[in-house]
Order: sequence, then structure tokens, then C-alpha cells
Amino acid sequence: MMRNDPIKHVFIWPAVLVVLAISIFPLIYSFTTSFLSYRLIPPIPPRVVWFGNYLSLLQEPRFWNAIFTTTLIAFIAVGLQYTIGFGVALALNARVPGERLFRVALLLPMLLAPVAVALVARMIFNPTMGPLNQLLAKFGLVNLPFLTNGHWALACIIAVEVWQWTPFVVLMMLAGLQTLPEDVYEAAELENASAWQQFWGITFPMLLPISAAVVFIRLIESYKIMDTVFVMTGGGPGVDTETLTLFAYQEGFKKFNLGYTSALSFLFLIAITIIGVTYLALLRPHLEKRR
Amino acid sequence: MSGRSLTGLSPWGRRLVAAGCLVWCLITVFPLYWVVVTAFKTPPGVVGGPTYLPFIDFTPTLQPFIDLVQGIRGEFFRTFLNSTIVGISAAAIATAIGAMAAYALVRFEFKVRFGAGLIFFLLALGGYLLFNNTLGFTRPQALLLAFPIALVAAIVANRLSLPGPILGNEDILFWFVSQRMFPPIVTAFALYLLYSEIGRLGFQLIDSYVGLTLCYVAFSLPIVVWLMRDFFEAVPIEVEEAAMVDNVPSWRIFLGIVVPMSMNGLLATFMITLAFVWNEFLFALFLTNSRWQTLPILVAGQNSQRGDEWWATSAAALVAIVPMMIMAGLLSRMMRSGLLLGAIK
Repeated sequence: MMRNDPIKHVFIWPAVLVVLAISIFPLIYSFTTSFLSYRLIPPIPPRVVWFGNYLSLLQEPRFWNAIFTTTLIAFIAVGLQYTIGFGVALALNARVPGERLFRVALLLPMLLAPVAVALVARMIFNPTMGPLNQLLAKFGLVNLPFLTNGHWALACIIAVEVWQWTPFVVLMMLAGLQTLPEDVYEAAELENASAWQQFWGITFPMLLPISAAVVFIRLIESYKIMDTVFVMTGGGPGVDTETLTLFAYQEGFKKFNLGYTSALSFLFLIAITIIGVTYLALLRPHLEKRR
Repeated sequence: MSGRSLTGLSPWGRRLVAAGCLVWCLITVFPLYWVVVTAFKTPPGVVGGPTYLPFIDFTPTLQPFIDLVQGIRGEFFRTFLNSTIVGISAAAIATAIGAMAAYALVRFEFKVRFGAGLIFFLLALGGYLLFNNTLGFTRPQALLLAFPIALVAAIVANRLSLPGPILGNEDILFWFVSQRMFPPIVTAFALYLLYSEIGRLGFQLIDSYVGLTLCYVAFSLPIVVWLMRDFFEAVPIEVEEAAMVDNVPSWRIFLGIVVPMSMNGLLATFMITLAFVWNEFLFALFLTNSRWQTLPILVAGQNSQRGDEWWATSAAALVAIVPMMIMAGLLSRMMRSGLLLGAIK
């Protein structure tokens, strides 16, 4: 039941005002800046260049490299998170032995500061003093260049992302699994459906809406990745692991190229919106079919 | 509860699944174990190659922590305090005003005309450009003038019968939550520009308590509104209706009945928000430099200044991590009571 009472404005306006002030103010501000050529170091007074910043960005190979790297990290990491996370959630839901112990460890990684996690990862991936290489040496592999080779560094960053955010998938999928109706499974069992058939026929389709939401959230969040990369590789070697946010940071804070950075962040915003809309459009027919 | 997905498996299948879980659990825990043991190592204990067990492989020492507290590697104590102050106040403010907004969205009816929103945006942008370019105000002055005008015009426009769609509560909720979809770099960089120009007018926001807290409140609001809405929807409406029959004003219904009944939810939301703020890196990197630097920035700095002093790095990382470990323990206890079930609907 909805009430209508003038006091509702007192309830909602503080939050709206804060969001308007801190999110929309700067948005308009940087939107106008993105059409200017504007540098602080060396100081160049603002000059209107219209789409100049956008055009030079689109011709910049480093920008495309950053987009490619970010996309690669996001898609592989989210794919792995979803697969592992769903599996673990299924096992926990089925009361696998030791489930209790596991639940405590479950929440931990996602609450830790990505910066600290990245530092720990640096230690573990260290080629001479890290435990990982010692373990690999036992299998006859020696001193892999974990963070100094572009491909390996990318793989390490993805590993850290998976480590940190799989728990989120587990948590959400577990909550989803607990809402499934019991009787459908009883009926399936009467018909002698195997565990695998039950999963493909019942569990997976029924959890599709939640899966879609989880993957969506993680994909959007992964695109913003910065802290982990900043600490683990700093975007290096070269620009092999430079993500979009890191690229923007370098342009904005190393060169203080304000117009250019504003244009970059808007292109980023557009890219995120396109990915989000495409994702939802691709998924919609599947979701509606199940209803 | 449907604990059925594994019942069709053979005993061996079950064991295999359990082993898989155990492996994942070890992968989860090992890095944490590693940072704990490394923080108690002496320099020779680290350099000599990986060691695993205290008192057997290496002799533990408290030296890294003593160095940390004495401030040999950056103003550690002060940074810790900064993180705590900013984190707790931002989480508290965000939970308070976010909960109010969430309650309003659950219990009251809102109608916003799409035209009014459009008028707001156009007037804000146009007014800003007019004041800034044509009338020669500085950029923050132009913004501060354009926004109230746009806001008042939009509120007035909302009362008129404009053509176009009317947005309801769901759309307002979506607007709140969609703030999280933004890449934070868009806001962070623009906020830095805005803050620094306001600073030139004499009101310092960069590297200040107000600037950082305000930014974190706005940054956390979407999550708070999203989570709290579900908790408020779970509060039985009958109690509120009974109070309304007795003519209890709405704000007393909220403070006296609804808030106590959803205390668990408020607490959980507060803790989740605190965790977000505590770990936040990008805004802190842009908006602070020395006085109000937060823990993640200091921890990240350990890396670049002193490459391989792992014992020190681990100690710093551990201090940043431990409060969140405690939080994870508290939250996992709440989680068992179906807390997060509501959040995914």
C-alpha cells in the first residue's frame, strides 16, 4: 500500500541532492571539458576543439590496447568466476561434507582491499622467493616470469580477480538455489532423471535470471578494474596490462591533460553502456521464454 | 531448501565434489595464511626462499609491526585513523539518508515527469555554459548558480501537465542504482577538477575530510538504497497501518517502528558500506595527497617505494585486511539467517 504524505519529500531529497551534487555536477563539468583542449602541465588555456579529443583518442593505438586488455580481463575472469562459483554453490547447497567450515572462508576475499590482495599476489607470484614457483619447481618448471611477461602478467591479474570475486558468485547463486521449489525435483526423481539431467533441465534454467544479473554486475564491475593492476604491474610490462581506468589515470595525473582525459572517460561510459544494453538485449529472449 | 543436486551422484562422485570444494577452499585461504606468516618474518627469513611454518622454518618477530607503528614507512597511525574516521562517518551518513530514501520509495508514491527531468538537465547544462562562457563567471560559480535554477525549474515543471511519460518509484530506484554502473573514473576525475577549482575560491575540498566523506556518501548511496529497499519491503505493513489509524506522523512511524524492526538490515548495510569505503582506492588516490590519505593508498605505496621488503609490506597489508576479516566473520553469521536472500530479488 502506498501512502501520499508531503513528508515523503523530506525522506527522499537528502539522498537525491547528494547524488545530484556528487555525480551529476561533475558529469556535466567533465562533459563540457571533454570538448576543450585543456592542459595544466604545461599550462594551456582552455580552447574549444569540439570532437578533437574524441577523434585523436579513437586514432590512438594505446586506447584500443587498453580497451582490448580490459575486455579480455573482464570476459575471461567473469567466465571463470561464474563457472567455479556456480559449481561451488551447487556443492554447498547439496550439503557437501565440510560445508560449514567453507562458509566462513566464503565471504573473506570479497571484503578485502584489492590493493592489499594485489600486494599479497605480488609476493606469491614472485619468481625467486614466492611459494608458487617453489611448488612449480617440484614439477620441473623453473622461474616462470609471472609479472614480467605480458601474457603471464595478464593471466596473473585474471587469477587474482577470480580469487577475489568468485565468492560473490557463490553467495548469489547459493541464495538463488535456496529459493528453488522442492516438488519439481521430486517429480524429476520419480521419472528417474539423472543428476545431470536435473541440472540442465531444472536448476540451470530456473536460475537463469539470477545468473544473468550476477554476470551483469560482475562484468560492469570488472570493466572498472584499476587497483589490482595498479599495484601488481602498474600497467606493464610496457602497456601490456594497461586497463582503461589506468590509462585515464596516466593521462590525467601524469600529464594533466584534462580535456583528453574527460573525453576518454566519456568514451568509457559509452562503451559500458553499449556493453550493458547489448548484453540485456541478447539475454532478453531467453529470460522471457522461461517465464 | 532443495539440497538435491548431488543426491543422484554415486558416493565416489560425492567425494570428488567434496575434494574439489576443499581445493578451492585451500586456494582461498592460502594467500591469507601467507600474508600472516610473512608479516612475522625477519628479513633473512624472507630472502632465503619460501618458508611456511613459524618456529620450525623461521623465528617469528614483531619487528615489522613495531616499524609500522613507529611510522618508519609512512605515517601509518594517522592513515589508519583517517580511514576509520572517514569510513565510519561516510557509512553512517550513507546508511541514514539512503535508508530514508529507500523507505520513501517503498511506502510513498512518487511521480516524476520525464519532461521535468529533461528540463533539469538542459537548464543545468545550458545555464552552466551561459554563466561560464557568456557572462564570464568561473566554472564552479557557474555550476553553483545553474544548478539551483535548474532544480527549481524542474520542480515547478513537474507540477504542470507536461506531455511525455511519467516515471514512478521503480524508475527512481533504477536511477539511484544506475549510478553504480558509471565507471568511477568519470566521476573521480571530474570531481578532482571541480574540487580543485572550488579550492581556488578558498574552500578546500581536496585532501579534506568534508570532500572525501561527501564523495564516499554519494558513492555508497546506490548500494544502500538497493539493499535497504528489500529490508523495508519485508517489514509487515499491518503494524504501520495500525499506527496510521492512531494518527502517528510518518516520521515517527519510521523512527519508532520501522527502523527498530529492520535493525539487522541496517547493521548489515552499514557494514557492507564500511567495507566498500575502507577498501576504496581510486577516489582516495585522486582526492587526497597527505593529510587525509587513506589506508589503501599507503598500502599501495609500500610497493613502489620499497620493492622487496616483504615483511613490511605484509604487515601493512595485514593491518588493512584484519578489520575486514572481523567484518566477514560477523557478516557470515548474519548471512546464515537468510540475510542476503532478499538482496537478489
